[in-house]
Amino acid sequence: MLELAELIFAYPGQAKPYDFSMQASAGHITAIRGASGSGKSTLLDLIAGFLRPASGAIRVDGKDITKLPPELRPVSILFQSETLFEHLTAGANVALGLAHPDPTAVNAALAEVTLPGIANQSAATLSGGQKQRVALARTLLRNRPVLLLDEPFSALDDEARASTRRLLRNLTQKQQWATVLVTHHTDDIAAIADRTYVLKDGTITR
Amino acid sequence: MPRSADRALPNRPLRLLGGAAITLSIAALMAVLFWTILEAAEAQPLSAASSIDIPWLLWITSLQAALSTSISLVVGVAIAWALNRLHFPGRGLLAGLFASAIVTPGIVVAFGLLTVWGRSGWLSRVSEVWFGAPLDLPIFGLGGVVAAHVILDGAFAATILLNRLNSIPLERLKTGQSLGLSARTRFEIIDWPVIRSSLPGLGAIIFLLAFTSFPIVLLLGGGPSVQTLEVAIYSAVRLDFDLNAAVLLAVLQIGLCSAIILLAAAAPAVPVSVAQRSPLRWRDRGWATPLQGLVLLAATAGFGLPLAALLIDGLSDAVQLLESPSFWRALGTSLAIGLASAILTLVLAVTLAAARAASSLKFFRIGLGVPAYAYLAVPAVALSLGAFLFIRNLGIAPGAVAPLVVIVANTLLALPFGMATLSPAFDSVVRTRGRLMRSLGLSGSKQFMLVEWPLLGRDFGTVFALAFCFSLGDLGVIALFGTQDFVTLPLLMLRAFSAYRGTDAAAIAAVVLILAVAAFTVLPLMFERLSHARAR
Repeated sequence: MLELAELIFAYPGQAKPYDFSMQASAGHITAIRGASGSGKSTLLDLIAGFLRPASGAIRVDGKDITKLPPELRPVSILFQSETLFEHLTAGANVALGLAHPDPTAVNAALAEVTLPGIANQSAATLSGGQKQRVALARTLLRNRPVLLLDEPFSALDDEARASTRRLLRNLTQKQQWATVLVTHHTDDIAAIADRTYVLKDGTITR
Repeated sequence: MPRSADRALPNRPLRLLGGAAITLSIAALMAVLFWTILEAAEAQPLSAASSIDIPWLLWITSLQAALSTSISLVVGVAIAWALNRLHFPGRGLLAGLFASAIVTPGIVVAFGLLTVWGRSGWLSRVSEVWFGAPLDLPIFGLGGVVAAHVILDGAFAATILLNRLNSIPLERLKTGQSLGLSARTRFEIIDWPVIRSSLPGLGAIIFLLAFTSFPIVLLLGGGPSVQTLEVAIYSAVRLDFDLNAAVLLAVLQIGLCSAIILLAAAAPAVPVSVAQRSPLRWRDRGWATPLQGLVLLAATAGFGLPLAALLIDGLSDAVQLLESPSFWRALGTSLAIGLASAILTLVLAVTLAAARAASSLKFFRIGLGVPAYAYLAVPAVALSLGAFLFIRNLGIAPGAVAPLVVIVANTLLALPFGMATLSPAFDSVVRTRGRLMRSLGLSGSKQFMLVEWPLLGRDFGTVFALAFCFSLGDLGVIALFGTQDFVTLPLLMLRAFSAYRGTDAAAIAAVVLILAVAAFTVLPLMFERLSHARAR
């Protein structure tokens, strides 16, 4: 389970600091809804470790990870774009960040996200939906308990959007990830979220 | 230019007319000078240049340019990589120091190298104190020429590549950091693709700069053993009084530079936009950080030490120089020529760039750019030779029109850089605000004063500063047209150096360096303030 306890953060010159407290359960998708500029990406940056809070704590399964650098956090993150390195193959993208990549495991992860046999295909040739699936395959192999999603469906067409949402929901349940989805699309939230928070005026409310 | 911009603005006949007039004027001038050189070449028997070993000249020029290019690119990649990773107080200042390479005159760098590495330079003096014997480093020759080019062009490459690294999308960096990529993997999969795409274009520019280098080769070449075609032309005209050889070399020079430009045109363009540094601070782990620190230390010493040494040595001897009337005359001439060239460059670049942005015809847009860039194919000394011959054919003493020729030649030298800065900026204004301007009925002077001048004031200042600095440091044109009464600071410095008055030369070089860096720093800011004040 992911827990944010009174996490305080402010950018230089920001009058009122952000004050985040929330929980995300394993096996569930927790959505954070908020308008543009409300601080959704800041929240994810704090959880992923790209920003350091002034105070408060981030815990995963009871363990305080607030001071860990991004690469050591039990967290995976997916963005709307730039999820893959396009000059590499799909398989190389999936294997990134692994100390000893196993081709069999890479192929199995790609099969799990319904993209079997594309390991040698250049990432640049994949569609938007396929790219998100390859990124999910990478997340599968890394097997971190928390998955952060920053507007992951925004660049997808309706069909790809629906299938990726289904896949994400299944994987979250199967892998017991605590998945946090930030978006301003209410239809995405209605389709897959188990719990919804609203981000407004720098604080989170249910 | 995106298609969407095509209908953003109605055609501006005055702008198009102005652009076309300048294009045709430059084309006519280049054609006349080129024709003059060709005519002179046809009138001379080929054997006239027999005293010059042309195959050797081509070999040594190409070797020098190839070495300068490859080492500069390696140095540039290393500096950009280190500056992209490390954050420390003074980092901005250091990046600014490398960025100033573009306006640091070659003659100043060459002299800075001599101040540190020369026979009576700093290192030699230290060696004499510590070991009882001065150092005798081979600063004159291929090594010195390549070293000076690497100092200038390596810093130039680092500035361009750092901008490219700083423009990597934040999401890509966050993904990489989250994946825990090692320093090596990060460089291979995030940095290298961005760097690699810039290398062909950047390499072509540096090769051309080194291939046509004049002041550095003149000072450090060590005589005929290491030359460029430009230096050989200068020697033929001013030292050997052999116009036949000069003409043949100029034809060869123009042909080769045109070929290099055609090859360079096939390479992807090097983006010149300055990217904002992303807020993500991701330090490499392990061996990389100490290595980056070492790279920056070496680069600072390599680039900064010659300039610092020159300033220290030069300024300590400046008092004597300040009492010399010839220094003040040369300073006045340099400033006047620099200001005139800068004003002319700005007027031409603004007119051409505005005309390009106002046109949706691809052919017309390309046509407006060609004469500005064609000057790259006809480098300073070759152009000056053409002007020299043309004026002489008219029965006019070259000295009588020397200031005008130097101003025009320096303007043409700066124009490609002016166009490279202003053309994308004017295009961007049309692309982003064209429809709004059209709907509000803004055109002509109103369009310029209310929209373009306030938005592009800083770019105008950059072009003005670049042209002023290029002119201030020019030696290629003034070397042919300078007389006893018409002397600029670089020519005065060359004469002092040739007369073994090293302290005077160092002091003049220090003054040129200070003027260039001050102009490059202050003028863009001044223009920005001025344009915003007008906007209010």
